[in-house]
Amino acid sequence: MADKRQNSTTDGGVPAKNEITQPLGLPRWVSALLPIVLLALVLGVFAFTSPLAGVQSGEPLPDVTVTHTTLPSDETVVLHVTNNGPESVTISQVLVDEAYWNFQVEGAGGDQTLAPMESAQIEIPYHWNPGWDLEVALVLSDGSTFHNTIVAPSQSPGFSLSLLGTLAVIGLFVGVIPVALGMLWFPYIKTMSDRWLHAVLLFAAGVLGFLAFDAGFEAFELAERVPGAYEGNLLVVFGIFGALLLVQAISAWREGRVAAGDSRASSGLWIAYLVAVGIGLHNLAEGLAIGSSFALGRVSLGAFLVIGFMLHNVTEGPAVVAPVARGKRPSLKHFAALGVIAGAPVILGGWIGSLAYSPTIGAFFLAIGVGAILQVDWEITRMVRDAGGRVASATNLLAFLLGLSVMYVTDLFVAL
Amino acid sequence: MPSIDYDSAADVTERLEQRLVESLTGETSVSRRTVLGGLGVAGSAAVGLGSTRTSASSDHQDEDEHGSFGAVGEYRDLDFDPHEFLTAFNTGDSGQDNVPQQIYEEDGRTVREFEFTAVDTTITIAPGVEFQAWAYNGQVPGPTIRAIEGDLIRVKFTNFGRHAHTIHPHLKNLNPRMDGIPQNGPGVLNTGESFTYEWIAQPAGTHFYHCHSLPLKEHIHRGLYGTIIVDPDPERVRENPRDYINYPGPITDDFRTQLVEEARSRNHEYAENDAVNEMVMVMNSFDTNFDGGNEVYAANTRAFGYGVGDTDGNGNWTAGETKRPIQIDKNELQRVYLSNATEFDLINSFHTHSQFFDYYDHGTTLTPTFKTVDTIMQCQAQRGILEIDYSDHEPGLYMFHAHQSEFAELGWMSFFEVV
Repeated sequence: MADKRQNSTTDGGVPAKNEITQPLGLPRWVSALLPIVLLALVLGVFAFTSPLAGVQSGEPLPDVTVTHTTLPSDETVVLHVTNNGPESVTISQVLVDEAYWNFQVEGAGGDQTLAPMESAQIEIPYHWNPGWDLEVALVLSDGSTFHNTIVAPSQSPGFSLSLLGTLAVIGLFVGVIPVALGMLWFPYIKTMSDRWLHAVLLFAAGVLGFLAFDAGFEAFELAERVPGAYEGNLLVVFGIFGALLLVQAISAWREGRVAAGDSRASSGLWIAYLVAVGIGLHNLAEGLAIGSSFALGRVSLGAFLVIGFMLHNVTEGPAVVAPVARGKRPSLKHFAALGVIAGAPVILGGWIGSLAYSPTIGAFFLAIGVGAILQVDWEITRMVRDAGGRVASATNLLAFLLGLSVMYVTDLFVAL
Repeated sequence: MPSIDYDSAADVTERLEQRLVESLTGETSVSRRTVLGGLGVAGSAAVGLGSTRTSASSDHQDEDEHGSFGAVGEYRDLDFDPHEFLTAFNTGDSGQDNVPQQIYEEDGRTVREFEFTAVDTTITIAPGVEFQAWAYNGQVPGPTIRAIEGDLIRVKFTNFGRHAHTIHPHLKNLNPRMDGIPQNGPGVLNTGESFTYEWIAQPAGTHFYHCHSLPLKEHIHRGLYGTIIVDPDPERVRENPRDYINYPGPITDDFRTQLVEEARSRNHEYAENDAVNEMVMVMNSFDTNFDGGNEVYAANTRAFGYGVGDTDGNGNWTAGETKRPIQIDKNELQRVYLSNATEFDLINSFHTHSQFFDYYDHGTTLTPTFKTVDTIMQCQAQRGILEIDYSDHEPGLYMFHAHQSEFAELGWMSFFEVV
């Protein structure tokens, strides 16, 4: 040590690059990979030597979920089941209303055993009665039972072009048309003073805020039915944050472009598109709800319901176009695109919901919608602030409240 | 004359059995998955295969449309055969391999000695459904003991189970030490402990034995129960006819002879007994999910064990059929020693189709307590003898089951195949 100090230069410093050289002179990528390699080694040792084998006390309980049921004909009942547990389960028998009954397992590799996370359909030839509850129970090889009640059964529509057509028409009426009608307020919105335009924007934010809560509650409700292994509630949380952060990242990227002098990126059109995407995602979830209630034979599409949806969704129109009320009017192409992005997903959602329904998909889509909407609200408040408005002015707060109220009232007309 | 023309289902059956047999004889090319998948049965051609068919003739299309109740798949656990159990009587002289027994004289009395154990085991109660049972000599119901009134029944009992057990007989027992309850004699027998129970076989009739440890519900419904048949002694009947009838009127010579005849037909040591087909049935049930209600009901443990499999109605079954009717000769009198071990339900019952029978409650009389009935009920531990005559029926399938529809659809559904 003493020798070294004597030999050091007068400025006393060690060259800086020496301070960050790797130990033993190894390249950087080695130190990045080393923990991963060691982890793999430890895991391997653990798996092969099972040091905890003696600690095992008891067995994990079997856990099977009937995610949903479909009734393709009045003589068939199909149970969609998922094994949530960490161990394989064998479905040995099936009870229908407390009677052992014929059944066949489809999927699951052709046998009655489900590996962890594996799903299957159980087809039961049973002549059920429309509207009369049916209780089914799966009896596993160890005698444990998993019960599921099919409340007021009614036939599920199978895949057919006419169903897709029906859903498209419904989607058109409850999604596309109301949004387009709402966008017709554009010329009027253009003539508004800043103060009132900002109020309209905050009204739109209120509308969206209501939708976020609406969809959020529904997502958590649906998450109850998600098989345990998929952690429904956490999936919803992930969906909300994932969508929020993704859309926000895109937005941040846009700001970077503005700073770099990209004029297109600085227009309100950008926000209009963001709003359209947010509302589109929400409407996709709305479509899922409509489609899945078709799939589950749970639909009572009265004229009242459609009217309710139209009133509900017509408020989404001004929300889409308000951001472009200042500056140059975008071409009609953009208006058409905005309308389609915001409204058409109802149709798509309806198709997905009716053909590939599962609580997992439904909850996740709803969550994505919530995340996207939250980001849009954030974006709108920043837009008002950037235009020199005060977000929390009395007018704006009341406008926001009005947005919430209008949605609440029109929501009363919509009960699937 | 029902006849079955199974075509495609028969083909499938044959293929599946082939696979099963190959898999069981160590043919490694067939994976377990294939066999199980096969037994899961694919294709609607096979609807009803491996289920309890509700019909035995081909003109029933309903099943293909509406499905049918019954357990799916076959029993793969061959440790217990409900068809063998029906006629497995342990007399000390002869009986089951898993019940060591002997018969000898002691102080002028016939002694029938049996070795009983209690073990924890796993039994199959429906195809693919296992139940953690506590069982006498590893079987549920426990072995059927058969003696003649006045004999000494000596049971050397050893408990190998995790819990303390006893054997409590429903006999007229003059010594409280031998009653098999926690409060008397040796009390409960802990793991590894032994005790020799001695009971005088009385009165004549069909009786019940079970474990009397606490909690009682658990110890009974886990499978610790069985039947003790005490045959009447015809000589004693001749001398004391009034002990065997519930009738205050005069006893004529004809009547006395008739009672003795009945006693001889009931006594397994007399030739007259050979003309009767005797069967033991214990109505039992199993709570598999600990909710205090039963998921499986049966006569002799196995859901649908005597249901219709693939049969032509003439006693010709498809090979490997584990759920099949009880084949009986129409010219023999059918005698069923019936008891009820069902826990959690107040009563159980026995109902015959297209048929009436005579019922002797507890089997303690030689004249029927119910004449010409087609349904009788029993509470838990109640038992009786049924005498059923199919001699003037056409051959074919005759259903019998609990007339609690729920029990029937949960497994207590059976058939006689009269040939």
